[in-house]
Amino acid sequence: MKEGFRQCMAWLHTWAGLIPGWILFAVFLTGTAAYYRGEISAWMRPDLRMEDRGPEAAMLGVRELQRIAPDATGWIIGLPTESDPLLRLYWRPPGERRFRDGILDPATGRVAEGGETRGGEFFYRFHFELHMPPIWGRWLVGFCAMAMLVAIISGIITHRRIFADFFTFRPGKAGSRSWLDAHNLLAVLALPYHLMITYTGLLTLMTMYMPWGMQLAYKGDQQAFIAEALSIAPQPRPARETAPMTDIAPLVAEALRRWPEAGVRRIGVSFPGDANTTIVLGKGDRHELAIRRRELVFAGTTGELRLATGNDAPAAQTVGVALGLHFARFEWPFLHGLFFLSGLAGTAMVGTGLVMWVAKRAPKRGERRSFGLRLVEALNMGTIFGLPIAMFGFFWANRLLPGVLDQRPAWEIRIFFALWLAAYFHASLRPGRRGWAEQAGLAAALAMLLPVLNMLTTRHHLGVALPAGDWLMAGMDLGFLGFGLAFALAARKLWPRPGLAVAAARNRQLREEGA
Amino acid sequence: MMAVLALGLAYPGFLLLSLAMDRHHRDLLGGSPGRVRRQLCRIGGWALLGLSILPCFALWGWSFGAVAWCGVLTLAAFALVALTTYAPRAALLVAPLLPALGGAAWLGLP
Repeated sequence: MKEGFRQCMAWLHTWAGLIPGWILFAVFLTGTAAYYRGEISAWMRPDLRMEDRGPEAAMLGVRELQRIAPDATGWIIGLPTESDPLLRLYWRPPGERRFRDGILDPATGRVAEGGETRGGEFFYRFHFELHMPPIWGRWLVGFCAMAMLVAIISGIITHRRIFADFFTFRPGKAGSRSWLDAHNLLAVLALPYHLMITYTGLLTLMTMYMPWGMQLAYKGDQQAFIAEALSIAPQPRPARETAPMTDIAPLVAEALRRWPEAGVRRIGVSFPGDANTTIVLGKGDRHELAIRRRELVFAGTTGELRLATGNDAPAAQTVGVALGLHFARFEWPFLHGLFFLSGLAGTAMVGTGLVMWVAKRAPKRGERRSFGLRLVEALNMGTIFGLPIAMFGFFWANRLLPGVLDQRPAWEIRIFFALWLAAYFHASLRPGRRGWAEQAGLAAALAMLLPVLNMLTTRHHLGVALPAGDWLMAGMDLGFLGFGLAFALAARKLWPRPGLAVAAARNRQLREEGA
Repeated sequence: MMAVLALGLAYPGFLLLSLAMDRHHRDLLGGSPGRVRRQLCRIGGWALLGLSILPCFALWGWSFGAVAWCGVLTLAAFALVALTTYAPRAALLVAPLLPALGGAAWLGLP
C-alpha cells in the first residue's frame, strides 16, 4: 500500500458516502419526518382526532368492529395517544391473510368514509422499504445503512482536525471549503446521534440481515424465537362455537390500573365471537426508553386474566433500549424535538457531503463538465430539493384530492413520485445555480402556502388552532412555515443576480489580466 | 423549563471552550488569550459541560437524561456556531442570559 492510512480512509469515505448517498438522504429525511408520523396522520385527518384514550374509546372500537366484521378471524384496535390521536381499527376477514384497516370517526362511531390516506405511515415505511417490495427495500436500505456506518467511521478517521475545527464555520470561503466546514460541523456536533441512529437502525432488522445465530439456537424455528424474544402469547384454537364476548371496558380499566403511566396502546382479539376467544391488551410506551412488549391476556368470554407476558432478560432489555432510541416513541416534546433536529442535521450532513463531491470537482473555466459530474449534480438537485418538494406535494395532494376517490391513498403516493421524478427531469434540463434556485423557490412556495391551503379546506387552521391551544395542528402549520422560510432563504441566496455575475466576471477579467 | 437550564450550562461551556482557541477568541474578543485565561476557559468550559448533565437527570431520569444530554450538547454547539458566525455579539450576550433564565425557571420565579 503506497498511500497512507488516512488517504485510504478518505477514498473510502468519498465512495461509501456518494454511491448510497441519495438513498441515504431520502432515508434520513423521511425517517426524520416519521418522528412525527402520528402528528402527520392526524394533520391529514384532523376531524377524526379523539380525546378519549381509555375504556370508552375501546368500547367504541369493539362496537364498530362487531358491526362491520363480526365474522373476522382477528381484530386489532389501536387506541389513540397524545401524539397519534386516531383510533385505528384492523380486521382480518375469514379466508384472508391480510388485515384491512380503517379509522373510527368519533362523530359517528363508524369507520370514516372518504379522505383515506397513508398519512405519516407512508414516510415511516418509505424510510426502510423505499416503497419497494418489503424484502428488496429492506435489504437495499440495509446495505446503504451499512455503508453509512462505514462512511461515519472512515469520516472520523479522515477528519484530522476534529477538535481544532470543532466550532469552525467559514461561509463565503471559496470553492468547497465552506461546504467542508458545514459538512464537518453537521457530522461532528451530532455525531452521537448519527452513530446511534445508523447502528440501531441496522439492529431493527438484524434478524433479517443476520439470522444465523437465531437459526442455530432455535433450529430454524423462527416462530419459536419470535414468541420467546417478544414474549407473544400463544394463539388460541377456535372452538367453533359461538359465545358472547365479555365487556371490554373493565379489562381496559384493569390494565390502566396496572399501567397508570403508560396506558393501553393496542387491543387484540383472536377469533371474536368464538367460545375460545382471547383478548390481549398491549402496553403503551410513553415514558420508557426500552421498548418491551408487555401484554395482558384475558379469556374473551369471561374476562378472566389468564397471563401477563413480558421478557425482562438482559438481551431483551438491550434490544429494547436500542429500538427505543431508534423509534423515539416516548412523549417528551422537548426530547422528541431534539431527535427531530438531530435527524435534520443528519439529512443535511448527507446533503452537504453530496454537494461537496461536486464542488470539489468543479471544472475550471472553459473545461467541459464530464458526464459523471453532470449526472451526480442532477441527482443531487433532484434529491436534496426534489424530495422535499415531493413531500410537501404529498400534503397538498391530501388536501386537494376529492374525499371519496377510488384508491385515494395510492393517488397521493403517485403524486409524490410524479413530483419527485419531475424534479429529476428539471435538474437534468437546468443544471447549475439557476436550477437549484428554482427548485428551492418551488419548495418554499409549496411549504409556505400549506397553512393557507389548510385554512381554505379545514376548520383547523392556525387562526383556530392557535387560540384553542391545539398544538398539534398549529405545530404542523408552523413547521411548514418554518421550512418554507428556510427554503425561501436558500432560494434568495442561490438566485443568480445579474449585478453579482457582472462583478464576478470583471474580477475574473482583472485577475486574468494581472496574470 | 429545566431544559433551558441544561442549555444554559452547556452553551456557556462550549463558549468558554471556543474562547480557549485562538481563532474564536480573536473573532469574539479580539487578540489571543493568555496562558492563564486559556487554562481558565478550558477548565470552566469542561466543568460547565459536565454540570449540564445534572438538570437532564433531574428532569428526565437516568436513562432519558443521558440521551437528552447528548441532544442538549448538540443543540448548544449548533447554536453557538450559528451565533458566532452570524451574530457574534449575541453569542456573548446569550451566555449569561440563558443560565439566568434557566435558573429563574428552576427556582420557580415567574
